[in-house]
Amino acid sequence: MAAPVASISEQLPGDVLIDRSPRTRFRLGFDRAMGWLTPLLFLVAILPILDMVYYISAKVVPTLTWNIITSTSPYQTDALGVPLTTTAYLIGLSTALAVAFGLLGGIVTAELLPERWASAARTGANLLVGTPSIIIGYLGYLAFVLYFGWGLVFLSGAVTLSFFMTPYVFRTADLAFSSIPRTIREAALGSGASPSQYIVRVGLPIAFPQILTGVFLAMAIGIGETAPLVLTMESAVLVPHSLFSPAIVLTEVIWENFQSGTPVLVLLAFQAAFLLLVIVLGLNVIVRVISARYQKRLEGLYQ
Amino acid sequence: MDASAPSSETGGREPLPSPSTPNGGAPSPPGSRLAWLRYLALVPALIPLGVIFAIVYTISWASHLTSLPGFFSFNWAPTTNWGIGVFVVGSFMTAVPALFFSMVIGLGLAVASTTYLPRLISSLLDPFVDLLAGIPSVIYGIWGFVVIGPYFGLTLNPWLSAHLQLIPWFHATRTAPINSLGLGLPLAIFVLTLMSLPITTLLIRDSLRAVPKDLWESGLALGATRWEVLRRVAFPYSRRGIMSAAFLGFGRAFGETVAVAMLIGSTAQIPPSFYGTGYTLAAAMFELIDSAYTSAQWLSVLTEMALVLLVISLVVNIAGRRLVISLSTTEVAGV
Repeated sequence: MAAPVASISEQLPGDVLIDRSPRTRFRLGFDRAMGWLTPLLFLVAILPILDMVYYISAKVVPTLTWNIITSTSPYQTDALGVPLTTTAYLIGLSTALAVAFGLLGGIVTAELLPERWASAARTGANLLVGTPSIIIGYLGYLAFVLYFGWGLVFLSGAVTLSFFMTPYVFRTADLAFSSIPRTIREAALGSGASPSQYIVRVGLPIAFPQILTGVFLAMAIGIGETAPLVLTMESAVLVPHSLFSPAIVLTEVIWENFQSGTPVLVLLAFQAAFLLLVIVLGLNVIVRVISARYQKRLEGLYQ
Repeated sequence: MDASAPSSETGGREPLPSPSTPNGGAPSPPGSRLAWLRYLALVPALIPLGVIFAIVYTISWASHLTSLPGFFSFNWAPTTNWGIGVFVVGSFMTAVPALFFSMVIGLGLAVASTTYLPRLISSLLDPFVDLLAGIPSVIYGIWGFVVIGPYFGLTLNPWLSAHLQLIPWFHATRTAPINSLGLGLPLAIFVLTLMSLPITTLLIRDSLRAVPKDLWESGLALGATRWEVLRRVAFPYSRRGIMSAAFLGFGRAFGETVAVAMLIGSTAQIPPSFYGTGYTLAAAMFELIDSAYTSAQWLSVLTEMALVLLVISLVVNIAGRRLVISLSTTEVAGV
């Protein structure tokens, strides 16, 4: 049997060029193993999402009719038209409030405030994002429901929810305005624009896509919020006819029905969960698309 | 360069000159009629901070500290002894293991997407992790209850109990049997791990990306493998970012309400075994609020629990944010 051809390293005295000691092999092997093992961890994130989407869709899609979504009859056990419409109203009002406060606050923080105040404002926004939603719910309950005496109504829920959403809009507005290149700002101011002209005519168009992603994110988060709304709104069977009527939203439908054990109610909870998932995932996809386009636009603009 | 220094994009910009001052940016003289306008600009910017103060003020105002004797005991016997110890311990028992798992997995994910995977693949996979933050917590709750719970109750918990029976607390006994719905600590920990995974991964990923390329290249040029550069250079360099990920991930897991309320079994006790049911602060505050609609004493006690939760979450969040002063440049849902 012919001896195998000796490799180069075996011909060299003392394996000078290629280290093949067990220790080196172990080091290289360990590195390669980590290269295979760590990406596998993505399964931990991907499988639950796929399972959630698959399980809920498989359970709900065969039972879903157009009537369930559009029916305007009082919310009972067979129709989600009322919670869906109420959710839209609630998110509309909260988003309007959150954009009004957050956008203004973010722009002021990025452009007008001295560094010391700006960092205080940013700290506030960051802390508010990290505050548990149940705490904000308690603020809403204690302040709006009890102290102001509004009661467990639509307005209490909407304002509480807007507290929750404001810091997201705030942070993206701040970030968007702060990352406008200095040169553009100086060009605008240097050619005679007043600060307000710069903000409205130059800054806002550039920052707009990024702010839009912040608004959509805030909406996605607000739609999925349960605890503050359960604390601040009494459930109802009709779409609220004024700011001071009780109201029911999709997440409350899920929360109230899932533990009942009655098959009809559990199915209703799953139908609501399906709608919620579609809306939230849709908003997230929109955010991704906008930010991807925005990246491309920036690249074209500044390079 | 320090990783914690504010990035040049967000820091160090001088404010725009005020329109009311023709001399460009210099503060208005005190006598100027429009000087107060400058302070008006502060109002919208300080709204989030104002909400924080409103929370602290309202919750302190509404809790009368009537239940203080026995408040921190472990005996929750409403209207005689309000011992919230069981809830605090329950919160830590769920949040700490969840944080451990999400830090380990988050480190692995961050290492994979910054070091081992090609840019294209990691840019396709990273959004899935971020998406975990966007899924509403009721959906985690209902999914955990229907899909994961039975698996835990019928398969995983009995298996663990059979194989870990030498460790005292991990052995299910007759007094603390495994419930077949799977409700209890393991399920809550599992879901909290998933829910805190996005924030830990994101922060670790960002801090690993901030490691200068020079350090990487000099490490590789000296003959270290990528793993060794990570271990010896990148991890020590970004330790502040990693620690802040731990703090903020803990805050997320500690304050989570609805999903935990659906999954932990809602029993005011310290879990008798690892598979037992329990309660957390946030879940109790959420589920017991109905009693507060009619009873002032209940309201006061629940508000005191809110105060405890608020203090813990503020401390954790302030500590975490101080470690990374500059906000990450990627804005992700729920993070």
